[in-house]
Amino acid sequence: MATTTAAVTLTSDLLSDNMSVSASTTCMKAGTTADGLDQMEYGYVDIASGTAYDIIGNTPTASKASKLYVKNHSTDETYYISVVLDAQAIGRLYGGDWMFIPANFHDANADVEITATGGTNKIEYALFHEGTVLVAS
Amino acid sequence: MATKATISISSDIASGFGGISEEMTLTQAGTLTDIDSTTGFQIRKLAAASEVDLITMANELVEPEDSQAAKIFIRNIGYRDVIDKSVGVTIGVNSEPIGKLYGGDWMMMPLTTIDADDVTATPETADTVVIEYVMFYEEA
Repeated sequence: MATTTAAVTLTSDLLSDNMSVSASTTCMKAGTTADGLDQMEYGYVDIASGTAYDIIGNTPTASKASKLYVKNHSTDETYYISVVLDAQAIGRLYGGDWMFIPANFHDANADVEITATGGTNKIEYALFHEGTVLVAS
Repeated sequence: MATKATISISSDIASGFGGISEEMTLTQAGTLTDIDSTTGFQIRKLAAASEVDLITMANELVEPEDSQAAKIFIRNIGYRDVIDKSVGVTIGVNSEPIGKLYGGDWMMMPLTTIDADDVTATPETADTVVIEYVMFYEEA
């Protein structure tokens, strides 16, 4: 079984009792307890300002347990990408920000779309999944 | 110390994948100033297969500034030390499904914090499951 593990540590001193959270999960296929995600897509792209792009080229199989990581490697803190899913704005990733989400790609419109603002944003992404709808040549 | 989040991803799917290890400091939009507001850490016990709001943006005691650099961390922690990775809770924004957090899974994502963009949770089954979450944002 392929094994993919995602761990996070979150700390904050905004509250008087400092917060520290650690979590780790092994990414499994949908509905299973013993079969890990076994396919991935990993890339790094420059996204010019102003145009919307789908970050994932091939649409993963719908309603599975895909996990998507995206990081904005732009060094200018005023640069950001807007993340949209199925016409629903999710939020912004400024230079240095990352996100890690389950992405179920539940229909043909549910691609993850990003639009850069400020200048050319440098984006790293990794999708862990269990199959895509490949496009015939 | 500020507010920081570190992610580490390891995988043996592809032999050449060396893993990911990245840290981010949560800052206010377009600046290097630390983010300054949080909902605090919360948990919500769910026991029905129906959609509920984890965060109702319009009901926050302090109005979040829209379309800035807000982030939310959410984790499915199961129930009473039982973590079932075969069933999950679909997390959504404004009822748009983002994806399903199976037992033990976590997510960190940006938010618009616009009033309509409530963060929702829909369990797959009526079995009891607990979701923990914390949102960081800027005050309007």
